[in-house]
Amino acid sequence: MELKQEALAGTLESSDLFIRVSPSEDPLEIAIQSEVIHQFGEQIRATVEEVLAHLGVTRGIIVIQDKGALDCTIRARLQAAVMRAAGETTMDWEALK
Amino acid sequence: MRGPATTRAESKEKACQGMAEDLEFYTVDPDDEDVERRDIKKLLTECGLLYEIGIEAFVVCRDGEKLVACAGLQQNVIKDVAILPDYRGGALSLTLVSEVTYLAHSRGYSTLYVYTEPKNAEFFRGCGFYDLVEMPDTVVLMENTPIGIKSYCKQLQKHRVEGAKIGCVVANANPFTYGHRYLIEQAAKECDWLHLFMVKEDVSLFTYQDRYYLAEENIQGIPNLTLHAGSQYMVSRATFSCYFLKDQGIVGKCHTAVDLLMFRNHIAPALGITHRFVGTEPFCATTNKYNHDMMVWLQDPVRGAGPALDVVEIPRTEYGGTAISASEVRRHLHAGDLDRIRNLVPPATYELLKTKYVPLVQAGA
Repeated sequence: MELKQEALAGTLESSDLFIRVSPSEDPLEIAIQSEVIHQFGEQIRATVEEVLAHLGVTRGIIVIQDKGALDCTIRARLQAAVMRAAGETTMDWEALK
Repeated sequence: MRGPATTRAESKEKACQGMAEDLEFYTVDPDDEDVERRDIKKLLTECGLLYEIGIEAFVVCRDGEKLVACAGLQQNVIKDVAILPDYRGGALSLTLVSEVTYLAHSRGYSTLYVYTEPKNAEFFRGCGFYDLVEMPDTVVLMENTPIGIKSYCKQLQKHRVEGAKIGCVVANANPFTYGHRYLIEQAAKECDWLHLFMVKEDVSLFTYQDRYYLAEENIQGIPNLTLHAGSQYMVSRATFSCYFLKDQGIVGKCHTAVDLLMFRNHIAPALGITHRFVGTEPFCATTNKYNHDMMVWLQDPVRGAGPALDVVEIPRTEYGGTAISASEVRRHLHAGDLDRIRNLVPPATYELLKTKYVPLVQAGA
């Protein structure tokens, strides 16, 4: 999936995360800030990379401010942000698994 | 999809449906809504802040009838963030910043900036903002991405030219005159290499595109020069907002230091710039103050994180006993006095004035 415009998803509220994805010519750049970075930083990054790979996102800038979101929240928010940025309006739920 | 710009009516509806708690968040246009503006002013005063002119929208939060928090947006700059003491430190503040970010996004602004006192910087760090520059004990400028300035400097580094004396001129050139040509020529003569940046912000009479084109045309024949596109990191609304309000005579509370430290700490090191050249400013108070502050914030060895630079002020070139200035050219343009412009600007500028801006000004008048 190609990121065509900037998109946001999520909030800064506790147990959520705020995601901003933007198009870029360069390979993926992922910046994560989290209150639990020392404990779960690697896990969050692995989830983010997995979702992006699954959606076929290879270029772009992903900036994440995490407030202790659960794994499923991270997935859902990131999927939403990518779909918005790609201008996809119809959900292929199978592809999002 | 989540809507950013919620009106108060919608917010109330949500509350009735039990989707929100007692706190209502919604967006107001301060120029349109007198009651809201009055309450915002009162809140800001209580929080020791000034109501800033030119804020296009506020996200506000009410607890019942009481206004308890607000955050203003002026294009891509977040301003006037205030929360009543009793409501601080909780979820409210995070919602407020989320809301104002969505509001900015819906208005087409992605990278956002915030000015805040150093003691409040930690709060914004928790909201996804990253420090760009700090004027000690006074103000911190932050950006809501950790990548922005870094990738910008990486791009700049590609244009780095090694040398003992690397100069820089930052010009608005609204429009490009013989004065600009003279300044750039003199600076280039004194340097091994000169970097010329055009101010990007599109708030001048002459569009950025036209100003850049004229610079390109009018610097021909200078061999040791790179012309750069401008960016939000120099003389922009984000770094130097009052420059763009100068016609309104607002000079007083002007954080020129923020713009200058951005230059010293980020841009100059990326390009290895050792000297910044500037024309003397006999007319405009804001620009004059900026020049003066340059001596302080760029030259003083201890003021910035980046190495100190030399500031070289070059006296303006004159025509008929008066320093050439772009503002004078604009005056003549508005008076329809094209003949008097001919001696002040290079041919390329004259042509563009004649073919595009004279009709434009006449149509406006």
